[in-house]
Parts: sequence; C-alpha cells; structure tokens
Amino acid sequence: MPAAEQTPIHRSAFRVRSPRTLHSSGVAALVLLAMLLVPPASAVDFAHEVVPILRQHCGECHTGNSAQGALSMNTRELLLKGGEQGAVIVPKDAAASRLLELVTTTDESIQMPPEGPRLTDQQVATLRNWIDAGGPWEAGFRFDPETYEVPLRPRSPELPAAREGQSEHPIDRIVDRYLLEHEVPWPTPLDDATFVRRVSLDLVGLLPSDELLDLATDPKLSTTDRRAQIIDRLLADKVAYADHWLTFWNDLLRNDYVGTGYIDGGRKQISEWLYNALATNMPYDQFTRQLIAPPTPDSAGFIAGIKWRGGVNASQVREIQFSQNVSQVFLGINMKCASCHDSFIDNWTLEQAYGLAAVYSQRPLEIHRCDKPTGQQAAAAWIFPELGNVDPDAAQPERLRQLADLIVHPENGRTTRTIVNRLWERLMGRGIVHPVDSMGTRPWEADLLDHLASDLAAHGYDLKHTLRQIVTSRIYQSQSIIESADNSSASSFVFRGPIAKRMTAEQFIDAVWQLTGTAPNSIVPGNRPKPKDGPRPENPIAALRGDATVRASLVVSDLLMRSLGRPNREQVVTTRPADLSTLQAIDLTNGPELSALLQQGAERIVATKKPADKLIGGLFLNSLSRTPTSAEQAAALAIVQREDESQSETNNASENLSVSGVEDLLWAVWMLPEFQIVR
Amino acid sequence: MVSRQPHAAARQHAAARQHADARRDFLKALSASSLAALMAGEPRRVFAESSTSPEAAESPAATADSCILIWLAGGMAAPETFDPKRYTPFEKGVEVEKILSTFPAIPTAVDGLQISAGLENVAQVMDRAALIRSAVQPDLGTILHSRHQYHWHTGYVPPQTVAAPHIGAWMAKVLGPNNPVIPPFINIGQRLEGVGEKEELKAFTTAGFFGTEFGPMNLPYPDAAARAVRPPEGMQPGRFADRYKHYRRLVDASPTREWSSAYQQESMVRAMDNAYRLLQSKDREAFDLALEPAESREKYNTGRFGNGCLLARRLVDAGARFVEVTTEYVPFLHWDTHENGHSTVERLKQEIDRPIAQLIRDLEASGKLDRTLVVIASEFSRDMMIEGVPGSEARDQSRAKTDKLAEPKHYGLHRHFTGGTSVVMFGGGIKPGTVYGKTADERPLIAVKNPVTISDLHATIFTAMGISPKTAFEIERRPFYATVDGHGKAVQELFA
Repeated sequence: MPAAEQTPIHRSAFRVRSPRTLHSSGVAALVLLAMLLVPPASAVDFAHEVVPILRQHCGECHTGNSAQGALSMNTRELLLKGGEQGAVIVPKDAAASRLLELVTTTDESIQMPPEGPRLTDQQVATLRNWIDAGGPWEAGFRFDPETYEVPLRPRSPELPAAREGQSEHPIDRIVDRYLLEHEVPWPTPLDDATFVRRVSLDLVGLLPSDELLDLATDPKLSTTDRRAQIIDRLLADKVAYADHWLTFWNDLLRNDYVGTGYIDGGRKQISEWLYNALATNMPYDQFTRQLIAPPTPDSAGFIAGIKWRGGVNASQVREIQFSQNVSQVFLGINMKCASCHDSFIDNWTLEQAYGLAAVYSQRPLEIHRCDKPTGQQAAAAWIFPELGNVDPDAAQPERLRQLADLIVHPENGRTTRTIVNRLWERLMGRGIVHPVDSMGTRPWEADLLDHLASDLAAHGYDLKHTLRQIVTSRIYQSQSIIESADNSSASSFVFRGPIAKRMTAEQFIDAVWQLTGTAPNSIVPGNRPKPKDGPRPENPIAALRGDATVRASLVVSDLLMRSLGRPNREQVVTTRPADLSTLQAIDLTNGPELSALLQQGAERIVATKKPADKLIGGLFLNSLSRTPTSAEQAAALAIVQREDESQSETNNASENLSVSGVEDLLWAVWMLPEFQIVR
Repeated sequence: MVSRQPHAAARQHAAARQHADARRDFLKALSASSLAALMAGEPRRVFAESSTSPEAAESPAATADSCILIWLAGGMAAPETFDPKRYTPFEKGVEVEKILSTFPAIPTAVDGLQISAGLENVAQVMDRAALIRSAVQPDLGTILHSRHQYHWHTGYVPPQTVAAPHIGAWMAKVLGPNNPVIPPFINIGQRLEGVGEKEELKAFTTAGFFGTEFGPMNLPYPDAAARAVRPPEGMQPGRFADRYKHYRRLVDASPTREWSSAYQQESMVRAMDNAYRLLQSKDREAFDLALEPAESREKYNTGRFGNGCLLARRLVDAGARFVEVTTEYVPFLHWDTHENGHSTVERLKQEIDRPIAQLIRDLEASGKLDRTLVVIASEFSRDMMIEGVPGSEARDQSRAKTDKLAEPKHYGLHRHFTGGTSVVMFGGGIKPGTVYGKTADERPLIAVKNPVTISDLHATIFTAMGISPKTAFEIERRPFYATVDGHGKAVQELFA
C-alpha cells in the first residue's frame, strides 16, 4: 500500500460514525441541564458532517480523477452541473434533488452507491438538510486537492555537471540548473562584509566579532579561504552555536523556563539535555531518538507535553499532543486536523492520529471523533507501515524505541527532508518546501531537497555538516533578492535567491548587549534549588558555557523580547512574524527596557573618551559590518553634536561626548532596517 | 544541451535587466506593509465567493464603531449584581443552603427591572442597557479562571493547537483602527507581570496567529498611560524630534536603501513612522488623564478601575476601536471571592458603580454612545453552594465552608458557577431596556430561558461591529472562524 498521502480519496480504513446522541451520561440532572443549555439545532456543518458521507459513499466514482456518468463532485460547481442524466442537486429543494432519490430508492438498477453499504437514515437526513440549506460548501474546498506524490524513501539524485566556470558545489550545481531552466539570473555575489555579518548571525546569532571582521577582509587570504576560515571558526564555537540554536529548538520543542504547567508539575523542561545536545552537536538521529524514547528523564519533557489542569478536549490530551507534535516537528505532518476527525486538508485519518498517540499512551486510549467517544480503542501503529511497525503489545518504553527507530530509519527520507528544509529556511529565508510544517507540499526543487537530506544521513546526521554545506555554497553567498508579490504562492513559487530575514528578538537583544556590554550576569535554565544544608548545586549549562557572555535565549522572556516576537511556547512554533509591528516600534521608540540599555551603553562608550569620528566608524563597523559613507558620517555627527538644551557638556567632536547624544546615535543606527534585517 | 546554453545565458541577462527595471515600478505600486504580510505567509482571509456559497461571510451593517469591554475578572456573581434573587441578611445560624443573594434588590430606571443594591448609579442608566441574564459557560471540569477567561476572550476553549486571537485582535485585524494613530486594540488595567497565572493570562491577551501587529497595547496603570505614548523618560520634545529627523536622514543615506529587501525595509520604516506619529500627535493626549478637568476626574476616580473607565472614554473619543477595561484578575482577589464574599463585593460595587454610570452618561452626552458598544461581562457567575453546574465534577474551592453562617467570612457566594450569568450591553445599536433570558428563581440558578453561549455572545458583539460571525482566516491550511466553526448566532432580539 502506498503512503497515506498518496491515496487521494478512497481509504479502506474504518470510518468512525458520529454518535447521534449527546447524552451518554446516565445522570438525570445532567441530561436535563444539558437539554436546557444546548442551543437549538444549528445549520448543517459541511466539513464535519457532509464531506465524510460524500467521501464514503460517492468518493470512489465521483471524486478525484473519477467522474463516472460524467458526474464529478470535486467542487460545488461541478456537483451542481450534474452528470449525463442532468442535475443531481437542486439547492434548497431536497425533494426535487435526484441525489436523494438515488441514495434512498430500492430500485437496484439505479440506486447509489451501486455496491457497498447504503446510506443510513441519519446520513440521508444530513444530506437532505444540507441540500435544503442550499448546499453550503467550505470556501476553497475540493475533493481532489493537488495530488503531489510525497516520496518517503530517501533519494540521492545524480548531480548535474557543473557548467564551465561555475561553482562545483553540489548545491550550486542543482541551483544553477534550476535557475537556467527558469530563466532566472544568478543573484549578485555577496561582498565580504555582508557575508560575515549574515553568516555570523545565521550560525551563532551574533554580530561578527572584531576578529571575524578583520578576517573577512584579510588581504593575505583568498576570498574562498577567508570565508572557509570564518565558517570554521563559527561552527567551532560550540557555546555560541548552542546559545543561538537553543532559540530555534525551544520554539520547536516548546521548551521554556516558565509558563503553563511548570509550576504544578504538568510540564517538564528539557533545557539541560537540549543545551548539552547542541553544544556537543549530537547527531540528529540520536537527538531524535532521545527525544522520542528518552533514555533518561532529562529529555522526557518533549513527549510528555503539557498536562492541562481541568478537563480538556479529547484532541488535547497528552497522548494526542504527542501524536501532533512528533508528526509536526520531525515529519512536517499536520496531524492536528486528523486528531479530531479524518483530515479534510490531506489524507491523514483519525485512526492514524490515534495510532501514533497509542504508541505513547500508558492507558487504554479510546478514539474520540470531534470530542465524542466512538467505543473503539486505539492500537499503537506507525503511519508509514512500509518501513515496519510498532508492536502494539509491547510495553511503552519498547514501543517508543520502535517508533524512534522508524522515525530515523535509514529508509525514512521524510525525517531528514524535514530537518534540512527547516535549516534551509532559517538560512535562506524560505524553505525548499513551504511552509516548513507542510512537508506534503511539492518542493520547488526536489533534487536539492533530496540531496541535502541524503547528504545529512551520509554524514552521520551531523547538522553542522548541513549548515556548512549551505553556507559554503555560492547561492548562500549571494545578495538577498527582492521578492515579488506574485511569487508568494506555494504552487507557483520560483526561487530567485536568498531572502533577507528579520532578526529574532534574541538576536536583536544579543546584539544590543554585545555592543553595549550590558548583558545580565546569570542564566536561568539549569539552576537547581539550593538544598537546606549545603551549597547550591552547580548549574551544568553555566559550567559548559564557562565565562561566555549571557545570551537572550538563556533568560526569561521580558516585555521587550515578547514585543519583538519571542513566543509563548504553549504551541510548537516554527516560524516567527517577519515584520515589525507598530506596537513593537513604539516599544523600540520609548520602551523603558531599551531606553535603559541605551543609556548604560552610552555611558560606557562616553567613558572611553573616543573622538566622535572614531566612535561613529566603530559603531557602524560593529553594527553593520561596514564603514559609514560620508553622508552617513555627517548625519551621525549631527546626532552626537546636537546642542542639547538639557545638557551642560559641550558636544564637540574633540571633547567629551554627551551621553544623550551617544544614546541617540545608538538608537538611530540600531533602528535602521539594515541593522534589524539579516540580509 | 550544450548548444542551448549561450542562448539561455543571454536570456538570463535580459531577464536581469528587466528585473531591475520592473523593481522600481513594483515598489511604487505596492503597499509595503501588505506585501510584507503576504511574503511572511500570514493568515489570509478566507473569502467564499457569494455566487457559489450561501455560507459566504457577508459583513453585516455595523451598528457600532467602537467597543468597550468592561471585564469584571474573577467571576462576577450575577445574584449580587444584575440578577438579584431572594435576599437573606447576615445572621448567625442561618443555613447557607437558603442563601441566594446577600444584597437586597433595588429598582432601576426601567419599570419592573431590579438589580442589586450598591449599583444605584448603574441602576439609573439601565434604561440605556440591554441585559442578558442567561449567558452560560461550558463545564470544563476543574474551574480555572484563566481557562474560562481564555474561552471568553477568544471564543475557543483552551488548549488549542494554534494560538487563538483575542476578540480585540479580531476587530483590529478585520476592521483596523478608527483613527490611524490610536492602536485598535487597547487593554487597560491588567498586569501581565508579577501576578498569579500571568503566563495563562498572556496566552489569550494576544493576537495569536494574526501576529503582533494586531495585538493589544497593554496599559496596566491608567494613571501612567500617558507615559506609554510619550518620548522616553527624561527626553525633551526637541531632542525626541531631532532624534527621529536624524534617524530618517540615516535611513535615506543608507547605501542599502535601494536594493536590499525593499519590502522589509519599507514596512519597518513605516512602523517606525507610525510609532513616531502617535508619539508626536495631538491624539496622544487621549492617554493622559491629567488633562481631564478635575471635576470630571473626580467622578471616575474610585481607583485604578474607575480611572480605566475614564481612559477608555477618552480613547474612544479619540477614535479607539476596541478597549478592554478590567478590575484586574489576580487569583483570590477582587471578584474571585473564595471567602468574605459579601464585604468584598460591597467594596467592588463602590469601585465600579459610579465610573460605569458616568462612562455611559459621558458617551451619551458626547453623542458617542449610539456608535459605541459597551459590554459588561465576566468569565462566569458565583453561587453559595454549587461549583460549576449541578452534576459537575468540579472540585469545591470555597475557603469558607460551613453549613450555617457563623462569622462574616462565611457570608457570600464563594463557589464558581457556570450555569447562568449576566451580561450587560449599552449603546452601539442595541435595544435599550431589553431583558433577555432568565435564570431560575430557586437554586440551581441556571439559565431556564434563551441560554446564550459564548459563541452567540461573540456573534452578537461581532455583528454589532460589522463583522460576520462566519469570518474566517486560513491558518495551517484550515479555516479558523470568528466564532467556533462559524456557528455563532447573533441574538437578534437585542438589536434595536
């Protein structure tokens, strides 16, 4: 059997019938009350009630590529058009609609469906109500979504030969062929200064250090050598690397230091394990295994999810969270719809969502459809059985180990494609598959995706290897392009080059701390309570970091970081807002947090007694990785030399600068789009 | 293949030239911020084509331009406020089972309509109000304020697989600001740091998947609201203006100005411009309570909440879209009466009675009330005996458990009740003097007529604001509706 996503319509999987009565409880008072409170019968719900009936009884012959009797139900228009025999539906007039006659008649020569079970009375009634209501249809819904056959197994595409004089880099060979085919010019090569800033922010989240800036323009080395050394140094800095990627993984694994569930034991941090895994560059297969089948409690927080206080919807119990989050994070599959009912947007089923949930479950797990029990127990199962399966009778730890084996199975290309696509998106501004959580979508270049995925597996699942592959390519080392609006839809997207990214909240704060020396003194994760007798235990993350400056990813989010887009991590977050909102701009303009940092920073800078031109040059270099133009120099000088009515100091370039002037200069430079965008 | 290459390469060059030419036109033609939103893959509105779909979310004609939500956080007991029941005075030895209300009822400006003593000023403006007495909430098991508050403010019961937007964010997203320099979603009186359940409060005090552009401007201290829209502390206006002028000079002088990621640059600079405009504009005076005449200030000044009402009025006068004013949720404080309910509510009424009535009178006097919907609501009601609803498994959380009154702390409604509560609406197209729905006269005080769910309540509010309850945005490839599954139905009887 092909993978679930490849079967567009007809699945042999069982169907869950929605119970027709709400009142399964025997408590008389409850029933009475429920009857009092239930609002009057609401309109027919097309997506949840009608679609399953049409799919089950009509789908095989009248949806997708099948249109027997010239009748297709793919869209509302087609259904209304009818077939060879004319219209089958008269909106708002069920009695006159042939469809109802066909599904209710006992005349075997015309009855529908011709084989298989007939519609139940309830289903007929639903269709009747639906037609009488005018046959409402979910906007944009069709029974034949674009059928892209998602490959499961890995593939090592043959690399095109490099054209003469073109880059030999495997990524570039594929990209070059792609650009040529699409008649898109190669973007302009990136200059050294822009490169060092981009690659430093991308790999370790920091503005380039003075050493890196010097290296970027070292005349003794070739461009290739300079860049190779810069990349080596960045990837070798395991603390800076872990500090930076912690943000990405905290978002993805919804790990945080405070928040819902942490206080009452309903949620567990994995911070220490995660930091260590990043700092030691744990191979991704091992990383995945330890998250899914935790060898110690240290990495158990991800699969345990959040235990919410009080009753929750059946689709949000821990077991279902497991199903949803494992699917999303590691496989780029949206199991959220399917964990309530068979998905309408792809072909994942309720049974599959619960099968995955049952791998984790330590109790009998009853399948619920739209929050109502079905009477059916879920059995642990993996969603791509062609690779093997999970033994539903094994104990939970063994089931989890089996699942982890299947997720990192050498023949499972889905896992590697998902992670390399995420890394590509971080570095290049948009995924090869877009959006990144929707790995069932067609990539703009399958060879590129498949090559990166196979290459990751072939190199011991070393994520730094993949990062290195990307940043050493000519296409990464190209200027970011201006994207056009008509190129935004996933289906018609044409890749033209790297897309600039907005700094994350953490990158912005780190940059400000870095440039002003105002980072706080201590980190939050890894701290353990001090026992009554004896000293506070060592913080293992702090021990790994040594004397490295504290980074924003290692402190609790504050108002400024929240404002700049650091998320509340109750849900898995894989992309953050790309644009600066007006409220964020207000916080940046007059917020007390940033104002305080600017002031502290300005005081430190003034104390160095640097002349204004040196100060401006240094600020531009450290902030933007370039020297100011003469126009910029003049504009910047005007800021620090401004006569300030509230200051008694003289603002002369050769004299001491005023704190307020320097503050305003810092602000003006850091508010530049050029500063806040990683381009 | 080989012979094709030079040709293809030439076409690449031609394409490069065209691309460069096209870029300028393109930049001029497009609004940068909308493009940024598009590129970021932000949720798109789902528009059903009306010709093919009767489900099309046609926008109703708005009867209100602004909305003020007065949020009595913690569970306002309806029998002690807008739905008085049989009054039992405090007396030692009284069986608590007999107690429904701990305040007597008083008449209002509407013949035959009574509300609870302590709300004498509000009683005088009830002829401008529609009163729903049959709002109901679902049984979520253990009562947890923040979960019910999440539900009330977003329309969705948490947890959700995507971050649901607050109703204020829906208004900001769908309607935008009334006045471009006043943020469309303003949240007054609730601290989000330093209070219990703060993370849970943050989870719904947000634009969710709409993105931060539509999120709340939080003003926890009305007195200090002016500071939020002033230049940074200690910065003279001249310096502030100069700083911005120089910043724009630097933006224009930047050698990257022309070529790099123009839409991102443009939208970023536009956001900075918007912020600067607000911080420079005269409209920002709306945030400054000190500019209100002393006499008027005095009418509102019962503390943070009263000042919040005044601030809301000033903001609506200046063109705010959605403003929430709260008595603030702090676990076990204010309306969250687990003990000493009577005396606490007595104090709370003193805090809310004058400002709410004054707000209505002021809006009326300025002619704004007709187009401003004011809603008074809370996450649920309270009861002397029942936790949740009859038959619920909710754990009893009273801190003053007793069968008979022995001391004052026993006197009050100390349990959370979800079976029937009151919501008051003023102005904005509602029919004054309406009473909708009814609760039982004896315990359990559940809604016995015309129950109104949160979906229907939201549908009513959205409809008044001109937003269809079926409005949907696509997120993660599925539609997400203003009311669950688009099924919320406005209570038509409430509209004039």
